[in-house]
Amino acid sequence: MAALATGGATPSDGATSFQRKAPASSRLAAIAGTRPSVRHGQLLISSGLPSLDCVLGGGLAVGTLLLIEEDKYGIYSNLLLKYFLAEGVVCGHNLFVASAKEDPADILKELPSPLFDEVHKHQLDEEETTIKSKWESQEPMKIAWRYQNLPKMEVSPAASARFGHYYDVSKTVSQELFQSIKWHRFFLPEEISLQPNIKTCNMICSYTRLLQAIQRIIYHEGFDGSFPQKKQKNILRIGIQSLGSVLWGDDICGTDNPEDIHSLTKFLYVLRGLLRMSLSACIITVPAHLIQNKAIIERVTNLSDTVVGLESFIGSERETNPLYKDYHGLIHVHQIPRLNSLICDVSGTKDLAFRLKRKLFTIERLHLPPDLSDTVSRSSKQDLAESTKLLSSECGAMAIGKKHLDF
Amino acid sequence: MLGELVAGSVGGLVLIQDSAACEGHSLLKTFVAASARRGESVHVFGFEIPEEEFQAGLDPHVTAQLLYQDGFIDPLRWTGQAGGFGVEEFSGRGVAGCLTRGSAGPGTIVLDSLSWILLHQPLPAVCQTLEQIPRVAADAGWHVTRIVALLHGDLHPSGLLEMLRSLAQAVVVVRPAPEAVGSTGDAPRQASLLLHKGKRKVLKKEEYFTILAGFTLKTLGEPARGALPDEDAEPCSVADPAANLTFNLRLSDAERQAREGVPLPFHFSAQKKSSLLQMPAGMGKIYYEPDAADDPDEEDPDDDLDV
Repeated sequence: MAALATGGATPSDGATSFQRKAPASSRLAAIAGTRPSVRHGQLLISSGLPSLDCVLGGGLAVGTLLLIEEDKYGIYSNLLLKYFLAEGVVCGHNLFVASAKEDPADILKELPSPLFDEVHKHQLDEEETTIKSKWESQEPMKIAWRYQNLPKMEVSPAASARFGHYYDVSKTVSQELFQSIKWHRFFLPEEISLQPNIKTCNMICSYTRLLQAIQRIIYHEGFDGSFPQKKQKNILRIGIQSLGSVLWGDDICGTDNPEDIHSLTKFLYVLRGLLRMSLSACIITVPAHLIQNKAIIERVTNLSDTVVGLESFIGSERETNPLYKDYHGLIHVHQIPRLNSLICDVSGTKDLAFRLKRKLFTIERLHLPPDLSDTVSRSSKQDLAESTKLLSSECGAMAIGKKHLDF
Repeated sequence: MLGELVAGSVGGLVLIQDSAACEGHSLLKTFVAASARRGESVHVFGFEIPEEEFQAGLDPHVTAQLLYQDGFIDPLRWTGQAGGFGVEEFSGRGVAGCLTRGSAGPGTIVLDSLSWILLHQPLPAVCQTLEQIPRVAADAGWHVTRIVALLHGDLHPSGLLEMLRSLAQAVVVVRPAPEAVGSTGDAPRQASLLLHKGKRKVLKKEEYFTILAGFTLKTLGEPARGALPDEDAEPCSVADPAANLTFNLRLSDAERQAREGVPLPFHFSAQKKSSLLQMPAGMGKIYYEPDAADDPDEEDPDDDLDV
């Protein structure tokens, strides 16, 4: 545990090189799969994706809510949800899976299988050697000689301080791992057929039911601190798929003036209250691109702790843009919580992209590809310039529409 | 790809979106005919046109396999007569109840049209029903492989369309094809396809097609890539600022070679470079070898703490 805690403060983070010896018997660290944050002392759990943890300031604090704005076809947001749940399976946490579209049992069946360290290291090494051999086969790149002693930039922001696991998306988790954990399901069509309609607190009945289900589990299984757990303390991971979509009976998608404009915000408010007083962390995916009323998105953002938006390139013109050819989408960090402090852990760069390789899903810094040839045609250079402008919104003030005089 | 879609390669919700400019009824009937020819039981929930009009032009052995739920005569149940299908009955249970008339094999449900239902029922209820139908039917012992729904795109706000498209497994948007496509009088149309393949892939495609007599599909190939309206073509007419320059912007090959031959004033040899990058030899260096008396514990140099 000490090694884990001290590993967090590396000089590359911008922190000092002083290392504090963590007390060996930390009360908080007794729960598997958690560690206290080096910065604000909150208990952190991994989101299942080490590179995402790094972007979010070390991990997801227990008692907070991570909101993921879905990409257009919901492919990558579902993957993040599954990573979060898979990390719970590996750490032995309790799971709560809620969905209105897919059966929770089906979601759990498709969790990615963990890559344990030796295997993963082996793969990384392999990858590295292939890259190296590629480099050696080419002639050394000519760079300004003053720069050649600079340290190499790390592409993926993970590596240094990780406590999550890596997962192989091409395989599903084995059943043995699965049997040891405890999980609860909430499948909306099932719940509706069980009980007649109820409508309370001016909230859509599906939200009320979901809240009641979460509350029941938190109280009965003893995740709230007021009623101490008899056995080993454990974390409850809550995953809710596509909240606010029309299948939950909410009409905020599709119309500008929905009937129950406050249902989702009320739900999030109560849910946050439940999370704050219990040993639980929640991940919610929301189809933000379908919500017409932007005020709702603003409110939802304010009511969640961490907000991350995914933007996939599928179907957009960026898919074929040479600037983005290595990536599958962009990731926007909209909000990071301020925990026990006035500032938040902002990561160094805002331009983050994700890519889904055959097995691994990673979040990386977006690099511009080198402009190697002398004879890049005018038009493609123009495209690149335009897209870099789009990329960094700071440059938004620059005039657009210069066609020929772009030097 | 539209051919594969009609041939039943995709299960789940298939949405056909048409508009006033280009009707999608015939494509819907093509789906119906193809399903019936495969021997599936086809349940049509018709609200827009009477049964006779829907069956017009279809083969007799196809119409024999159709199970038509008539929602056209009395959709709102004003006459109080039994029979037919009221819009109120459009729920998971109600639809599954109608399936009892068919055989137990794979079945296709056809909604003609979803737009009409959306005018009479709230959107969340309709979407929940669409999701529930296969599940409720499976509980009752019926196997629904696909739901084909016709949607009039120009009747709904774009937000609602986006949402319905996100629910569907496949979306076909039909629009009139440009005039140059197709041969004599077979009314070519253009289909934009959006197809979810598995959990991690989405395919997009444009295709021209036409519908022959007896409602069989004939694809007419894809639009050429370059045929898309070219936005870059326009600024060519603008005067080129590099045209009348007093200096040379471009290099010929000989000139380029000559330029590359010139050694740059700041260009170092490899030797000089390495000598500069390494520490100068004259500078002092500190070597440190820990000895036995050294205290390895940094935090407690004088050993007075009880750690």
